[in-house]
Amino acid sequence: MVFSSLVFLFNFLPITLLFYYISPDKYKNIILLIASLIFYAWGEPVYIFLMIFSSIVDYIHGLIIEKYRDSKKAKLAVISSIIINLGLLSFFKYYDFFILNINLMFNTSFNSLNLPLPIGISFYTFQTMSYTIDVYRKKAPIKKSPIALATYVTLFPQLIAGPIVRYQTIAKQINKRKVNIDKFAEGIKRFIIGLSKKVLLANNIGMLFSEIQNTNISELTVLTAWLGIIAFSFQIYFDFSGYSDMAIGLGKMFGFDFLENFNYPYISQSITEFWRRWHISLGTWFKDYVYIPLGGNRLGKRKTYINLFIVWLLTGFWHGASWNFIFWGLYFGILIAIEKAFLLKYLNKLYRPIRHIYVIFLLIIGWVLFVFEDISIGYNYLKVMFGFNQVKLYDLKFVYYLYSYMITFFILIIASTPFIKNKHKVILNKLKEKKGSYQYITVNSIYFILLFLSTAYLVDASYNPFLYFRF
Amino acid sequence: MEKLANKIIVIVFIVFIFTINIFNILMPDKEFSESENRVLSQFPKFSMEKLTSGRFSNKFETYITDQFIFKDFWVGLKSDIERFSLKNENNGIYFGKDGYLLEDFTNSDEVLANNIKSINYFNKKLPDLTTYFLLAPNSVKIYEDKLPMFSEPYDQSKIIDRVKKNLNGEFIDVYDILKRKKDEYIYFKTDHHWTMRGAYYAYQMFCNNIGLKSFDFNKFDKEIVSNSFYGTFYSKANNRHIPADKIEIFKPKFNTSYKVHYLDEDKYTNTLYEFNHLDKKDKYSLFLDGNHSLITIKTDVKNNKKLVIFKDSYSHSFIPFLANHYKEIHIIDLRYYKLNIYDYIKENDIDEALFLYNVSTFSSDENLSWLRI
Repeated sequence: MVFSSLVFLFNFLPITLLFYYISPDKYKNIILLIASLIFYAWGEPVYIFLMIFSSIVDYIHGLIIEKYRDSKKAKLAVISSIIINLGLLSFFKYYDFFILNINLMFNTSFNSLNLPLPIGISFYTFQTMSYTIDVYRKKAPIKKSPIALATYVTLFPQLIAGPIVRYQTIAKQINKRKVNIDKFAEGIKRFIIGLSKKVLLANNIGMLFSEIQNTNISELTVLTAWLGIIAFSFQIYFDFSGYSDMAIGLGKMFGFDFLENFNYPYISQSITEFWRRWHISLGTWFKDYVYIPLGGNRLGKRKTYINLFIVWLLTGFWHGASWNFIFWGLYFGILIAIEKAFLLKYLNKLYRPIRHIYVIFLLIIGWVLFVFEDISIGYNYLKVMFGFNQVKLYDLKFVYYLYSYMITFFILIIASTPFIKNKHKVILNKLKEKKGSYQYITVNSIYFILLFLSTAYLVDASYNPFLYFRF
Repeated sequence: MEKLANKIIVIVFIVFIFTINIFNILMPDKEFSESENRVLSQFPKFSMEKLTSGRFSNKFETYITDQFIFKDFWVGLKSDIERFSLKNENNGIYFGKDGYLLEDFTNSDEVLANNIKSINYFNKKLPDLTTYFLLAPNSVKIYEDKLPMFSEPYDQSKIIDRVKKNLNGEFIDVYDILKRKKDEYIYFKTDHHWTMRGAYYAYQMFCNNIGLKSFDFNKFDKEIVSNSFYGTFYSKANNRHIPADKIEIFKPKFNTSYKVHYLDEDKYTNTLYEFNHLDKKDKYSLFLDGNHSLITIKTDVKNNKKLVIFKDSYSHSFIPFLANHYKEIHIIDLRYYKLNIYDYIKENDIDEALFLYNVSTFSSDENLSWLRI
């Protein structure tokens, strides 16, 4: 199931909330666990066993680590847990990719499996790994109750697309959490914002991108190609961060506090800064569980760069089992290495708008690598963007697109900056001083408008006139 | 105040999702959606096998979305917002000026080339048969001045010229006459068809080209049979503020007699119109009862001319004019007729053939390859 669907919003969510809040505290985790399993099983009923298996494996490993604290056996348990988790991930996500490349390299003909990818496997295997690692590192106590651990592993708000909630973050909240009206309201607001980002903005601009993507590459002009990839840049940000917002909001409705996952990444002034603002939970995960254990930057320059290389190779590969993602990861690894080596010093002296242009330009090129899984198509697309092969600068189609999406782009740009958030704060603070002002409520009504409009867009997406009288 | 505001948020949100949930459960399920023109999904039957394969959830999801309350309201709201944000297009339909809905047209080289080949093949195979080809432009070309700013669908003139150049047999070009008459009501604004009036001008052109004498415009009584026709473009564009189309029919003032046989249903009538369709959504089907694989019309015209027509639905409002010139007309729809047409032509002793297609169908329909047998 996905959050941005009618079934989730109007069937799953009200029923889950109802059962959750009428049941006494000690049953709340069980309710949440059942709800999460239904949520997960909705799309892929079979893979639910994978998740249950994962929970049991980690539960047992946790017990072993606790029992053999500070001995070699504890270490072995951690390693075994990591191997099992990565094994699952590799089998389902990367097996076919490896087979394909081995076949290409050695002219063999091993069969690929063509298994459907279990939804969210990249996210939840990372979460389950964080459990045993955090327990081993004494960052958090083990879960004695298998229900409690399974609740953590399967927790539906962040199950499918993150944020990757490390165990240490919510170890305590699993056992004890509090919700009051204010927190619940906070959660609702956050959820509605995320829903609108996804349904009203990302889907909308995504239509422009897919239209341009589906245009024959020989018919594209320079500016149309730029417009297309800019559309994608917005689509992926609003899609992904919208999803995180919904997750964080839902978490709050059930009493959890997840960490933030995005922080206006497109206002960054360096690529290094971008990665501190984009998919924060993934960056933190790799930093805590890969980069620092490898020695981070403490073992000299050479080792630091090797570590960077490893982390960015893995980051790229994590995004998908395809070469373009690996290149995409390495692309950022190289940029960050260059910035680290010398560029940041110079960048900081530059005029600020130039720094922004530098970042946006490199990000856009990065998205070309990211979005075209077939590298040769990405390469040709880049050639169009830079005017190779005498392509036209623009045509009427470009003007039409620009005109049709003018207002959408305007909203997207504003919404990519903290402008609205800051203005909203200023207004609320002013209202706070004036006690008893009902304008407060008026300002908040914007959330209902957004919810209402999102519903309309969701219903419309399911509206498909059947035109059998087409002829 | 903040506390109160938060309370309101919680209450409104909860009430909203719960009421819609309850409404969806309580409201009786609909069988059929008029505006979407299709049967709606019903509550899926449950079985363990369906559940484990994920098909149950899939069907349940379609059921929920199909039966969502006030669906037309939500869809209309979305369409309004889109238009408000300067989007002049929805589902490939442009919102043109003066209430014209116009369908975006994109060229498909391969299909077009194949279709030309198929007709040339037909022509070569039957050298004694006189073959005519009438290619009707779509409203998006005739009313290109009504297109929204900056939009640029593929130019249908290029298609017409290309077909004209590469096709053997007599090509009847109706583009100029239709363009000249465009201030009359010759295409529907909410549907992809031409009106009977548009078909009349094409008929005139057809007669001029092949040396028939057409019946004058004033030899027909014009009657509006419907004021509330919302066609396919309307269904696709989803905008509720578009006025309805009228349907006009041309009734001969002279005496006629037709025997119409719908062979796929083995139904006989003596009229070219089926007025019961005016109570339904798809009112254009009033002309010759919509799509059939094979229809024959026998008339009291005193000649021995027999015509076969291969066609799309543009022909349905055109054939009533031709029916006053031929003793027999055989109408074959290649999308549904899968028998050997060459046998059919031979058995029925047919001496003329007409292909009547609109540009959009002719460059996308792959069923003409049935000619190449």
